[in-house]
Amino acid sequence: MALEDPQWALVQADPEKRSFRVHRSAYKSQEIFEREKALIFGKCWLYLGHGSELNKKGDFVTRRVGGRDIIFIRDKSGEIGAFFNTCTHRGAKVCRERNGNARNFSCPYHGWVFSSEGKLVTTNANGGYGEDLNADGHLDLRRVPRLENYRNFYFINYNPNAISLHDYLAGARDAIDAVCDQAETEQVILSGEHSYSIRANYKLLVENSYDGYHLVSVHASYFDHLRDQFAGTPAASMIDDTIASYNTRGAARGLGMGHAVLDSYVPTGRPVAQWLPSMGAHLKAPIEARRAQLIARYGEERADYIADTQKNLVIFPNLVINDIMSITVRYIEPEAPDFIKVTAWAMGPAEESEELRAMRLDQFVSFLGPAGFGSPDDIEMLEICQDAAQHTPVEWSELSKGMDWTDDPRTLSSAPDNELQMQAYWTQWDRVIRGIEKLERE
Amino acid sequence: MAELLSRTEAEDFLYREAELLDEWRLPEWAELYTEDATYEVTSPTTADPVNADPDRTLFLISDRIDRIRGRANRLMKKSAHAEYPRSKTRHLVTNVRVIGGAEGGTRIRSNFAVFRTKEDTTSVFMGEVYHILVREAGELRIRRKRAILDLNSLYNQGRLTIIL
Ligand code: FES
Ligand SMILES: [Fe+2]
Repeated sequence: MALEDPQWALVQADPEKRSFRVHRSAYKSQEIFEREKALIFGKCWLYLGHGSELNKKGDFVTRRVGGRDIIFIRDKSGEIGAFFNTCTHRGAKVCRERNGNARNFSCPYHGWVFSSEGKLVTTNANGGYGEDLNADGHLDLRRVPRLENYRNFYFINYNPNAISLHDYLAGARDAIDAVCDQAETEQVILSGEHSYSIRANYKLLVENSYDGYHLVSVHASYFDHLRDQFAGTPAASMIDDTIASYNTRGAARGLGMGHAVLDSYVPTGRPVAQWLPSMGAHLKAPIEARRAQLIARYGEERADYIADTQKNLVIFPNLVINDIMSITVRYIEPEAPDFIKVTAWAMGPAEESEELRAMRLDQFVSFLGPAGFGSPDDIEMLEICQDAAQHTPVEWSELSKGMDWTDDPRTLSSAPDNELQMQAYWTQWDRVIRGIEKLERE
Repeated sequence: MAELLSRTEAEDFLYREAELLDEWRLPEWAELYTEDATYEVTSPTTADPVNADPDRTLFLISDRIDRIRGRANRLMKKSAHAEYPRSKTRHLVTNVRVIGGAEGGTRIRSNFAVFRTKEDTTSVFMGEVYHILVREAGELRIRRKRAILDLNSLYNQGRLTIIL
């Protein structure tokens, strides 16, 4: 049963039966994982970091992206660059810190020194080398083949012939705009990060990150907590009203190229710009002022969309930007078919007041992260899915909800508690892994 | 200025807190806290975690009393999936030091190791805690608790769904 065999598809869509299913080997097979490393992570644009993480010249962070260790740096002329974190001499890591500020990188092994632009400055050798050893620059730190940004979100691509990031992002650009346009100045990554792990395949976290269907069952205890918080306020009835009407408002929307966003309405309160009495009377005026500014800048309709809609965005294959009770940028690094590392940051407008910033961070940890009241329950679901996939003989997972298309789901819309967004993702995954979607310039 | 607690008084209290947690008597644990209390765990990469401010930097946990109670109540429910089946935990508290007065009470510094076993996986959370303990109507209560993990990430532990 070779993967190349078109008769043997891991993703099966059957419009007549309205059935869409994924073979569970896609979540657990080492062979498929190796293929993904080459064909998905070797060819797609992968999130590296945000420009606001590198404020000063010389600021850097080191990060593993698609299995490769990268230095993400603002060099001494102010340009942002991305290098593989390995000495061109005999391979040592040239940077062992997670972040910092550096004029240059000095390899600890034999003392080769590289500038912040990646130039080999000295081999620290007393003879033994010809004069023009590095005349062609091949001993400079190796640059990642492609580095491009959209609105300060930096992505890399290991394929030099990849299509532009702009074309790759397709409709996801609008979804990123909806996040960025909340800020009068710019959105920035806030201080602090959550780094944690999950014993599950990366695609299980992707699916969960914009799944409207699981909300009530998995997050019942979070809604209980909100009910307690809202008790005795005019918001008290909102939880049950919202749950009852969840699938009548909003939509899951395919954005092309496997990206999708879930637009939905859940009354958690939002720093931009939905005030609830449980946040305290002192925040009412500043949040309403923020909404008024949005209306002034974009008009009522767009302002309402920005302010009221919860947006769970997945950029294929492994970046999540959830603009829900707070904004999180969540990067998923697959380490093995059944193990991922997750790094999540909070994002907010640079110009935000102290009290709104405090509220944003408080909202974040109320639900999100490895110790919140929401995400850990999601994580448990992913881990029991993975465990069962590996230890039961049942072959297929069913992702058919809302399957009423015949051709291609990647730019379609559906109700928020359907599974259209996952159908869009898996359709792209299938086409990339089979080489139908080359993601390359002509 | 209230009189400082002795080390023995502080130890007895911290052992009592640990016992409530290990016996999963979480609503009783929440009752140890004052109305203006905070319970916090900084993120592992936080610079200066002793003085970091959860209003400015992302913590793992920054609970005021409503969320301290909410956390305790949630963890009693089967619908708190992350802790179902419930973990077994063992809190070890050592190196207890009385370091002075603060906010009308006594500031205590201690080291901890918490072993958590969920199904067949055991992980360890280790670090130090700063408590401020106050006397209210004759009872000792917690006004502040900040735990600082000796970790750089939760890659080995996965998540933090027990109370430290
Ligand atoms: S490996 Fe870096 S100088 Fe030798
Ligand atoms: Fe969830």
